Amino acid sequence: MSFFDLQGTLKPLTALKQFGKKPHTLKDIPWKKREASDNYRGLHFNDIDECIGCGNCSTICQNAAIDMIHLEGVEGKKGDSGLRPRVDNGRCCWCALCVEVCPTGSLSLTKDYIYVTEDPDAFLWTPGISNPDGEERKSYVSTHELSLNHFNRIPMPELEGKERIKSFAEVVLGYNEEQAREEASRCISCGICTEVCPDHMHIPEYINAIAAGDDKEAVKIIYDNNPLPEMCGKVCTRRCEDVCAIATRGDSVAIRWLKRYATETAATADITHEIVNPEIREANGKTVGIIGAGPSGLTAAYYLALRGYDVTIYEASAKAGGATMYGIPKYRLPIESLEKQIGYIQSIGVKIKFNTKVGKDISFKEIYDKYDSVFMGVGFPDAWPLGVDGDDAEGSMQAFRYLYMINSGEKVDIGDKVVVVGGGNVAIDAARVSRRFGAEVTILYRRRVEDMPADWEEIEGAEDEGIHIIPQGIPTKIHKDEKGHVKAIEYLKAEMVADDKGGRPRPVAIEGSETVLEATAVMAAIGQMGDYSFLPKEFEEKITIERGRFVVNEKQQTGDPKVFAGGDAVNRTADAISAIADGFRACKAIDEYLSGK
Amino acid sequence: MREKATTLYLGPQHPGITGNMMVRLKVMGDTIVSAQTEVGYLHRAFEKLQERRNWLNSFTLMCRFCVPETDPMENLYARAVESLDNIEVPERAKYIRVMVLELARIATQLMWYAGQNGSLGLYTMGQWSIGDRDYILDLFEQLTGGRVYHMYQWPGGVRRDLPEGFEGKVLRTLDYLEKRLKDYDDLMFSNSIFQKRTQGVGYVPKESIIEHGVVGPVLRGAGIRSDIRIDEPYEVYDKLDFEIPTQEGSDIWARALVRRAEVHQSIRIIRQVLDQMPKGEFNTSIPNPMKWRVKAGDTYVRAESARGEVGYYAVSDGTIHPRRMHLRGAAYVHAITLLENILPGQNVADVSAIMNSLGTCAPEIER
Amino acid sequence: MKEIKDKMIAQINAAFPEAVNKAYDGNRLDFTVHKDAIPGFLSHMKDQLGFRHLSHIAYVDWIEENEFELVYLLWSPTDKVKLFVHTRIDRENPVMHNIDMIWRQANTYQREIKEMLGIDFPDMVAPDEFILEDWDDIPPFRRDFDTLEYVNRTFWHRPGREDAQDVRETISKRSGEEIPDFAKKYSR
Repeated sequence: MSFFDLQGTLKPLTALKQFGKKPHTLKDIPWKKREASDNYRGLHFNDIDECIGCGNCSTICQNAAIDMIHLEGVEGKKGDSGLRPRVDNGRCCWCALCVEVCPTGSLSLTKDYIYVTEDPDAFLWTPGISNPDGEERKSYVSTHELSLNHFNRIPMPELEGKERIKSFAEVVLGYNEEQAREEASRCISCGICTEVCPDHMHIPEYINAIAAGDDKEAVKIIYDNNPLPEMCGKVCTRRCEDVCAIATRGDSVAIRWLKRYATETAATADITHEIVNPEIREANGKTVGIIGAGPSGLTAAYYLALRGYDVTIYEASAKAGGATMYGIPKYRLPIESLEKQIGYIQSIGVKIKFNTKVGKDISFKEIYDKYDSVFMGVGFPDAWPLGVDGDDAEGSMQAFRYLYMINSGEKVDIGDKVVVVGGGNVAIDAARVSRRFGAEVTILYRRRVEDMPADWEEIEGAEDEGIHIIPQGIPTKIHKDEKGHVKAIEYLKAEMVADDKGGRPRPVAIEGSETVLEATAVMAAIGQMGDYSFLPKEFEEKITIERGRFVVNEKQQTGDPKVFAGGDAVNRTADAISAIADGFRACKAIDEYLSGK
Repeated sequence: MREKATTLYLGPQHPGITGNMMVRLKVMGDTIVSAQTEVGYLHRAFEKLQERRNWLNSFTLMCRFCVPETDPMENLYARAVESLDNIEVPERAKYIRVMVLELARIATQLMWYAGQNGSLGLYTMGQWSIGDRDYILDLFEQLTGGRVYHMYQWPGGVRRDLPEGFEGKVLRTLDYLEKRLKDYDDLMFSNSIFQKRTQGVGYVPKESIIEHGVVGPVLRGAGIRSDIRIDEPYEVYDKLDFEIPTQEGSDIWARALVRRAEVHQSIRIIRQVLDQMPKGEFNTSIPNPMKWRVKAGDTYVRAESARGEVGYYAVSDGTIHPRRMHLRGAAYVHAITLLENILPGQNVADVSAIMNSLGTCAPEIER
Repeated sequence: MKEIKDKMIAQINAAFPEAVNKAYDGNRLDFTVHKDAIPGFLSHMKDQLGFRHLSHIAYVDWIEENEFELVYLLWSPTDKVKLFVHTRIDRENPVMHNIDMIWRQANTYQREIKEMLGIDFPDMVAPDEFILEDWDDIPPFRRDFDTLEYVNRTFWHRPGREDAQDVRETISKRSGEEIPDFAKKYSR
């Protein structure tokens, strides 16, 4: 190369040809806005109505850019924490992971390229409130497929329908370890579920313990406010799962099955004792008498005993557990499981007097005088009859009584054609039990299948087992044969009529649609009721009963300050977990009452 | 009369595009006697912060290790976690990743064109190449939703599939770039100023290569055919046909020629990728990030960035937080001991150009 | 690849009987060596076995075991084998041998290790400070250095965000749930 390189001097000059070209740059910025691409990650937008305030966005954000705050006009309710995200744009790095983990899909990023303000605090930005028009500029969104949430539940292994009806073996087989860890890992730990649980169990905590592989810790957390968790793990009505954040776009986390998995770790009463390692306070010399060893009575007894009280339960039947022992079929809740949990409760010092019916074997007054405080968890021992013509026929019975007798080991003659009237869990239970005794079973229900109050899994299970469901049928008459035995049931078909007052649609019978269904047994499963004959007249004034239930205050206390009540005979939800919640609340109130705090 | 050495501080403002670092020079007249680098102006402790983060939200830090070249770091993190947790990546995702990596390589080289020329006072080139780089950023914006920080490759695959008609846009951009590269040749490589300022300047002696762990274009500019894409193929590089350009001079000029040839190779790779890319899944779903426990173990993954080998030593102790994530950057070795080693004897005016040609990137040194 | 690796393992075992090999798939070769053997081991690898390229010196703080770990990552360009050389250093007495005469670039790694982990390299010549300036706390890459605590101590929070609520707490307060202390570590 010479000192003067002609080519090296001239070639760069060809750049001058660019002079004639139109510039690439956009003119008029910032007055004219450049349109961003279709998945640009700009500012946040949140659909305030769709958002449930789970705070998952705030958790994934390790820049601590997202706060959850109260907003005016957004009230917390069941399934909604009432909080909404606010973004500190000074910390945001626009990674959009908050969008990817949002279970509802309410959070997204917009196409906004430029945002300029002189107010330094304007960078605190409440998506959806600060930019209500952001909806139209949404670009980076989370779809069902792209979301990082796992919307599909790990299926629960079950016995097959044909296998099931051969015996009373437990239908649900339970998760194995790997399945449980995977299912538990779906949980986002928001805790929204805990609010609807009547007992407010510590759900995110024990699920997280399972996800972390600490099953024993999970059991310990569960026992913090539920002494019958294995029962709940098998048969709870699990309203928690209805409000699960993941359920907004997918299957809820299998909270009940996870509890079931954890409690399986505690295989015997002794192991339970070892794992829970309860701290039992020194005896304080005070005594509590409890009527009924159902879930509410057992719960109150367990936690009172932990607090140093001398607790005695009076139980009319030969076994404890109440409706969970006698009302739930064994293929859902095996007897050993319940006895193990009750055994553990007894092992910490709770005394149970079996076959002792209050009002017959011992008077209420005697208990009232003997103990410093009394808790009544008497439940609903009786069932409503069908109340139609021919109801007195032999073979016409109440499903609840039927289950009680079967669970007590008695034999009941039901023939080979059973009709169960009703749509709740009791109806399904009676139907599935009858099926296991070889009968052909039909369920007759006034409304549609989707209106049935029973668990959907139970309804599906019944169908799998070959149970026939006749919806929209109103029974009118039971036909008897010459010996006075049930021969058939007559019903009217119904049509659903919208309720003017905004309630759920009502069934209205269609005239002339009488249908006769052959039957050897008819079981009514249309509700239970209380039996308060044990209560002497002198108490009636203080311990009042309204619409078939005891009247109590928010501490489960009746008009007599010494007497507390809980369970089906008090609450309207009539399930085991509500009874446990009542028992737990009553325990705290009795402790307060007796310790004078 | 004996001349006294003067101390001269170069930086810590950006000398060229090399980031905030300082070189303390002792000079005699225009000639450098000794050099001492000083870093510490943008330490952000990303690796420390990862101790608090989980396996997913750690990934948003990755792209920030080196601002002009973000994608190889994302790729490394994704591959490190995948190798620890045995995650299978769909074939399509691998092709998309290679496309992204090669687009990033072109974008980085265009930025380097700007820096290399800017450090010599040839500013027109810089404006052209930065302007053309923006066309690639436009592609990134459409694909990933971000222009500079893409946060696109994550453990399991990539975050979004190609938008509709994206392949066509890529091809059109490549065609345009190929035309422009000719203009670049005229303005830059044929330019006698550029030649005179780069030939024989910033010489890296052969014996320094092993001594200083030299990698990338610097290594290939010294005549050694070494490239991780060939030596230890990752993603789908083993299915692609491309060349590893080398030069003998081991000076800034040689390294410039290597980079120039690499842009052409990248264009060639992207065309093949678009041609071969299979249909199907683009991502394998990972567990819920808040409860994701990666299997315990350690791994070291490497990738060839535009500046040479970047590597990632990753350790998991089986919890939801990474135990240790340790980056090895190309600049980490080039811009400290190697730079200090080759600067003595050079002219002060060439320091920025030398730093540029070594691929200095201060954010990568400090992390 | 397997034959190459097996041959290398045999050679290394012969030269360094105390080096512990761990088997891995692919091109990874993994040895654990006592810290005093490191300079000799590495220079043998470099000169005799073709591991000419030092990729990286990684460091990990195993605070539970009261040890630091250094991992020398070597690459053989001819055999395409990746070599991991692990060594452990007592946390109470963190001193390590300098290897910057084997690879000059190790000097940079060691400066970082010295500053971030507090391991001393007595015979290394290098300026005192690397990345940090006037640092007077414990070396920040030790696990017991709490980043959040440091930030809260060193910086102040811009006002305006005090009304942030915890979702779990909001819900439990509203429903009257009492979360026991031992369970709280499982809350998010």
